[in-house]
Amino acid sequence: MVENRAQSAHVGPGFWSVTAVLGLLAIASIVFWYWFPLEQYLPAAIVTARQVDTLFRFMAATGSALYIFVFGYLLYFAIAFRVKPSDPPDAIGVQVHDNHRLEFWWTLIPALFVVLLSVVSVKIWYEIMLEPQNGLVVQAIGHQFNFTFRYPQINGEITDEMHLPIGVPVTLNLTSSDVIHSFWVPAMRLKNDTVPGLVTSIRFTPRLTGRYQIICTQFCGVLHAQMNKQVLVVEDKASFDRWYQGWQVKNAHVSNALPAAGGAAVALTGGSAPAGQTLFAQKCSACHAIGPFNQRIVGPGLKGVLHDPSHPDLVNGDPATPANVAKILQTGYVGSLGAMPNATTNGLSNQDIANLVAYLDSLK
Amino acid sequence: MSIESAQMTHAGGIAGHIHPEPQGFVRRYVFSIDHKIIGIQYIITAFVFFMLSGLLAETIRTQLLNANGGFVSPETYNEVYSVHGSAMVWLVVIPLLTGGFGNLIFPLQIGARDVAFPWLNMLSFWIFPVAGLMLFSSFLMGAPTAGWTEYPPVSLQGSAGTSMWAAAIFLVGVSSTLTGINFVVTLVKMRAPGMTFTRMPLFCWGQFATAPLLMIATTALAAALAALFMERVFGVPFYDPTKGGSPVLWQHMFWFYSHPAVYIMILPAFGIISEVLPTFARKPIFGYKLIAFSSMAIALAGFMVWAHHMFTSGLAPYLQLPFMILTFAIGIPTGIKIFSWTATLWGGKIHLTSAMLFAIGFIALFTCGGITGIFLAAVPYDLDVHGTYFVVAHFHYVLVGGSLMGVFAGMYYWFPKMSGRLLNETLGKIHFWLFFIGFNGTFLPMHWLGIEGMPRWVATYDPQFEFWNRFASVSSYVMGIGILVFFVNVLWSIRAGKKSGPNPWNGRTLEWMIPSPPHYYNFKNIPTVYGLPYDFSHPLPYTGLEEELTDAPPALAAGAH
Repeated sequence: MVENRAQSAHVGPGFWSVTAVLGLLAIASIVFWYWFPLEQYLPAAIVTARQVDTLFRFMAATGSALYIFVFGYLLYFAIAFRVKPSDPPDAIGVQVHDNHRLEFWWTLIPALFVVLLSVVSVKIWYEIMLEPQNGLVVQAIGHQFNFTFRYPQINGEITDEMHLPIGVPVTLNLTSSDVIHSFWVPAMRLKNDTVPGLVTSIRFTPRLTGRYQIICTQFCGVLHAQMNKQVLVVEDKASFDRWYQGWQVKNAHVSNALPAAGGAAVALTGGSAPAGQTLFAQKCSACHAIGPFNQRIVGPGLKGVLHDPSHPDLVNGDPATPANVAKILQTGYVGSLGAMPNATTNGLSNQDIANLVAYLDSLK
Repeated sequence: MSIESAQMTHAGGIAGHIHPEPQGFVRRYVFSIDHKIIGIQYIITAFVFFMLSGLLAETIRTQLLNANGGFVSPETYNEVYSVHGSAMVWLVVIPLLTGGFGNLIFPLQIGARDVAFPWLNMLSFWIFPVAGLMLFSSFLMGAPTAGWTEYPPVSLQGSAGTSMWAAAIFLVGVSSTLTGINFVVTLVKMRAPGMTFTRMPLFCWGQFATAPLLMIATTALAAALAALFMERVFGVPFYDPTKGGSPVLWQHMFWFYSHPAVYIMILPAFGIISEVLPTFARKPIFGYKLIAFSSMAIALAGFMVWAHHMFTSGLAPYLQLPFMILTFAIGIPTGIKIFSWTATLWGGKIHLTSAMLFAIGFIALFTCGGITGIFLAAVPYDLDVHGTYFVVAHFHYVLVGGSLMGVFAGMYYWFPKMSGRLLNETLGKIHFWLFFIGFNGTFLPMHWLGIEGMPRWVATYDPQFEFWNRFASVSSYVMGIGILVFFVNVLWSIRAGKKSGPNPWNGRTLEWMIPSPPHYYNFKNIPTVYGLPYDFSHPLPYTGLEEELTDAPPALAAGAH
């Protein structure tokens, strides 16, 4: 009898019943998170999205179970161990300082859980990172305040929707023409920032046809909130091919220039070589000679830059084409030869660039 | 360390002569060198900024009542949340917990007469309101718009206020660094005889873990801010990629500070909770040493996890894994604390005062924020919800449900020590329930909003999210009313509150052994400490306090020991 009372005083009145109720609630929460129809709210558009959902269910289930125990005991202790009106004013609680066995277990169990969670996360991380590399390569470029997309064998940029064929692995290369944006498709459970001056890539395989919102999730300027109007369309191969060929025709006349800072590529038609010559003397001749490549002042000599068979490539490795020269003029150059400011710093308009390219093109 | 050798070490240093109290209003209350006055100055200033940034918060929620916004322009909205975030972090939570409660309480708890460098302390304080005014004045020239993180290059495009922001935060950083130095020296050199590290109250441990973070991490932020300022004002390229800079550099520097800053904002609150719980449960804190050492472990590990804010920034992928696993690992010492606090309640004689309600509410809400922190640390899941309302929900659970609840617990607990009067308990309980319910109504739905696809930093949003946004906005008004009740309570109680006497809560730490408010010199005689303060069944572990509550004059003579 005395022992029994000591026993109940040891854990407190109703402790085990409360523990049982909390255990049931914890099990219910685990069942809830594994049953929860997440894909009804948010389709899983790519293969690895379902793995991310698995990780979410695992963390939500274990997290809820843990929380139910912490919150439940907190509530129960705060109510059950309240001071009673019958207690003397200087009543004190049970003077326990610690309990090494308890502390051992509540350190070991979270530590084991951390190991388990690390294993699960690393495994799913690998599945995301090890998506095939040899698929369709698409580029998405962030601008204030939209994304543009480039596909192999389509000239220029696609400015409205991004289409992908179902079941084909995709490598999406991301960069930006101005500030940092972030390319997020909630249905893909995947995002990555588009960083100016940096190309990052994500790889995935679409598994479900549909139209999915593309959202910028990194603050990028005053209209950041409006940067959610574009969609990713996942469709069957035939529809994708029709869309793809449509753009090939539509953009046939567009030069294949990479996007310039500020968005639009420079139209090179209508450049005037004499005007370019005047401009070259004013803006370029301090650093560039009209001479062979290795006649350097600061930058290389530019005579025949577009027609010198011994230098088929530009300093940045791009082939020597008018569009690529225009790109360097537009965005500047930083590399082994030094640095050249961009068009804004140099005070070059698009017409100026067209004129300069026309002039350089005229030097044989 | 034996008591004798402790007295040898500290002789003169802490028990030495007492300076006469300065006379005149300005020297006593404006340019004061008294740590208690400075602490109160911090608290008052920070609460003024809290009111302003709270109004900004309600502006945010009012804008988000409708999917199309419409309350303020997108430009203004961006300014509002940027200043809201910056002010809440740098002008409210950090100053309240370190300069405010730190200054006010821990020198009393270690039996010191002041901090080590009182003049430096005064300088630390006076930088802070100046910096705060600078930050708010940025509204006059176009406030920063890129959030409290101000990632370049977009912050390079921001209006002139962004440079003002950088200068203001730099100054707050200087103030923080000086405070950190002051606190480390005070805690190491000025403990009363016999107060070994393992006899220090846990609030002191919280400050002891925080102060090195203030000292070390803030310097990284200062460098980042100086570079941003130079780039914006003088065109020196650090971050602009078109001029050879790196935008990701800012993120590394910023988070190398701002992740430890998360612990600057939570470790002192852990300390407050660890004082309030034993006092009102009438029980020793459960697992004193584990709580103390886990604070140090968290502070140390806090330096090694910054890149978990950058999983989507284009880091080399293999770098993500160590940062993920180290972040998970921080869950272990944090878990130990949560379990120990919960166990402290078990078997207690619990007085559910307002301070205790806030302390229990702290554990409930902070635990939730901690668990969602684990979600965000898991790289695959972070790649989904990074930059969404899930993150907004997570850090508000930590910083409002955690740090700010801790601040309120501290206010109800230590207000008598500041003023000699108690805060009204009925108003306190109304404050707690309005705040607790309003808080959960505001931030709980945001987890779901983020998962469903609502990004952060948006002045308008997709109409499908309207219902939960309205729910959050209305709840935020409830929370706001709760805070108004608190302000009314403070203003009323400071004049008409019940007189508290020296020790209204039967506290056992040293600050309760002296009058409320304490004398200028704190202790007439420096006490000697024989043990931990939390043994409720034992006599108090101090000697030398007999004269503190009498009319006897203080021991004034220099070198009396």
